Amino acid sequence: MVNLNKLREEANKIVNRDDIKYIIGWEKGTYGFQVTPFFATTSDDIDKLIFSPLCIHNLTVFPMLEEKLPMRKGAEEDTRKIGLVVKGCDSRAIIQIIQEKGLNRDDLVIIGIPCTGVIDPKKINEKFPNQTKPVNVEEYEKYFIIKINGKTHKILKEELLMNKCKQCEFPNPLVYDVLIGPEIKNKGKNIYKNIESFKKKSLKEKWEYWEKQFDKCIRCYACRNVCPMCYCEECMVDQLNPQWVRRSVNVSENTAWNIMRAFHLAGRCIDCGECERVCPAGIPLVKLNKKLEKEVIEMFDYTPGLDVEEKPLLAMFKPEDPEEFIL
Amino acid sequence: MESLILAKNKLPELIKRIQSKYLLFAPTKTDDITLFKPINDYKEINLEFCNSKLPPKSLLFCQTETLFKFKQGISAEVKSVDLPNSKNVIFGIRPCDSKSFTIVDSVFKDDFVDPYYMKKRENTILIGLACIKPGVNCFCTSMDGGPANSEDLDILLTDLGDKYYVEVESKKGNEIIKIGKNFFSKSSANDKTRKNEISKKAENAITRNMKTKGIVEKLDNIFENPLWKKISMKCLGCGICTYQCPTCHCFDIQDETTLYDGARVRVWDTCMNPEYTSHASGHNPRPARMNRTRNRVYHKFNYYPKNYNIIACVGCGRCINDCPVNIDIIDIINKAREVKT
Amino acid sequence: MSKDSFKPNIVAFLCNWCSYAGADLAGTSRIEYPPNVKVIRVMCSGRVNPMFVVNALQEGADGVLIGGCHPGDCHYIQGNYFAKRRTAVLKKLLEHIGIDERRVRMTWVSAAEGKKFADVIKEITEDIKKIGPMQQIRRKNNW
Repeated sequence: MVNLNKLREEANKIVNRDDIKYIIGWEKGTYGFQVTPFFATTSDDIDKLIFSPLCIHNLTVFPMLEEKLPMRKGAEEDTRKIGLVVKGCDSRAIIQIIQEKGLNRDDLVIIGIPCTGVIDPKKINEKFPNQTKPVNVEEYEKYFIIKINGKTHKILKEELLMNKCKQCEFPNPLVYDVLIGPEIKNKGKNIYKNIESFKKKSLKEKWEYWEKQFDKCIRCYACRNVCPMCYCEECMVDQLNPQWVRRSVNVSENTAWNIMRAFHLAGRCIDCGECERVCPAGIPLVKLNKKLEKEVIEMFDYTPGLDVEEKPLLAMFKPEDPEEFIL
Repeated sequence: MESLILAKNKLPELIKRIQSKYLLFAPTKTDDITLFKPINDYKEINLEFCNSKLPPKSLLFCQTETLFKFKQGISAEVKSVDLPNSKNVIFGIRPCDSKSFTIVDSVFKDDFVDPYYMKKRENTILIGLACIKPGVNCFCTSMDGGPANSEDLDILLTDLGDKYYVEVESKKGNEIIKIGKNFFSKSSANDKTRKNEISKKAENAITRNMKTKGIVEKLDNIFENPLWKKISMKCLGCGICTYQCPTCHCFDIQDETTLYDGARVRVWDTCMNPEYTSHASGHNPRPARMNRTRNRVYHKFNYYPKNYNIIACVGCGRCINDCPVNIDIIDIINKAREVKT
Repeated sequence: MSKDSFKPNIVAFLCNWCSYAGADLAGTSRIEYPPNVKVIRVMCSGRVNPMFVVNALQEGADGVLIGGCHPGDCHYIQGNYFAKRRTAVLKKLLEHIGIDERRVRMTWVSAAEGKKFADVIKEITEDIKKIGPMQQIRRKNNW
């Protein structure tokens, strides 16, 4: 359990600094198990900050979403820093963005939270559907304690955790200015079991599977917008000159879009799983991105989001890169 | 308005009869996601749902619609596309979604009658299914609607247990009754009472309320309020709310070409995308998410009522259910009302 | 369409300095090779965006070839190394989705290797003939 008082105390110290614009954290949502990203600017706001196993959002998407608008004559740019609350997986996104020179380390003040796992919204809504009043969830050893309508439910963590949390190798933030709580010693191991069993299928079976999935796509681009690594000022799919992907919605264009995004995330995706969580059509995007994550480790010995000094995957090369496919 | 009874065991045969004369669309469920799809066999229909993931607007206002085709080069020509003549039936549509068609009709037959939408709309019969168990974020009762309202439907079916209470609201509805004559029987006063009980129970099950009285005028006064910046800071600018909203109707028109021929297509667009208002000069009148989120709220609750005398929201709650960051329109409007001017 | 009558459409992105010159040499030396390849000249194989490959497959290409200079000989020093990395990643992605990754090939052909270019085209045409036409992500254009 994260010490909420310590979190608020540290956040309070940061939010009152002169060089901070706001702190991004979480607050209670408007119904059921919802929590929502929250931008705190004053000490009163800090009292609303929470952290619970329901805090699944990857808040690192927000620093890059902030628009740099044209300014009035004589006005000065607001160069204050942004405070950010991150879990272990989220911190990898920050490192990767800094590695790519998308942000400077001193643009951010990072409050790190060692994370013991977050709850899958689909799983908990299946177990306790139709919750209207805001519900609280707490941790106790191997269980989640959920109080609904005066009744307390004790559920094994295994049943509600996000699948990614069960194999988490980075529960502790890899970059932070202040850490809330002790580092977590137990780490999972990222095994690509699903990817390996999928690899054994025939080409025909693979295409049948993905064609059905891409047929569901409605091209809402929620996967792109929620991804902290998708921060291009003009996304290639929005470009009209040249137009890479037509705006029609059919299997050909949907596949081209998903190939485009998966490729652009090669060696950059830090596996936060947000894309799959937000997809309204239920497309298994983590399965798509994890394949390249595995291949990039095997072929180039590169894992994204670990070291700010490392060079990004496709911006560098080694003479000994695999070349058995070259004629 | 006629009231009849349809025994549940007669429904498959009625569906089959409808299929023989109409193109039938009904809710189907795959992997827990309900969508309205064309039906070939009664078994594909799944009526155990609260509401479909995507609204049935996608059946009349298609996501990709060819406007006309053309050939390029020396033998250049423009060919208009044959509008479909098929008679359609949408079965199992909820009262909120049917109200959305009435709302969106105003736009598609305003100064220019859109043939692509209107032809389908005129040829479509709506057979609705009343809600017994509204969803967590349903608020149709706040938007002049109700879980068992039949005004915007041609026929409304209310599940009474072993039979459906059938309310026929229009001439189009009568067509269906005529072709399925022997499946329907007379209804009794008891049935009507039972229907009203179920309807009341469903209305009472709706817990969320949006107070819309005076919202148009209130919004006029708070356009520059910092509330909009606060609300929109967490908006990701994806298109989920737009694409799932039954009353959203924005679109983009693109030319798709090969070397020799092509077509002009109309596709869904979302005002949450910065490119939506991007001008050819490079200027963008809605450059920030604040502008776009504020515009979305105003379009539905201020501009549309001013133009067409109706709020462009039916209270289906899909945007609240699926917003990745829990932006809640009920919360926004309630907060907007409380802003001190 | 029987196997014999299938004429594959292959799009080749050839780098201006080496592989395009090599293809040119094959032509001036009157070396025969299958006519199924359509050449697009780019200044360097590093110019090839993976979306070029995907768009080619969408527009009717059954196979795509990326031709570059030998490692160490790139006119722009490193372009071919980047292209090599990109192609390796793209092929893995296509294979995962179920599109035969043998449709996307890469070759190093220098300006003096006219014969090699012809041999590469022969080999690729044979391979694509065996794999068959690209139907999966082909744009149907059935507006």
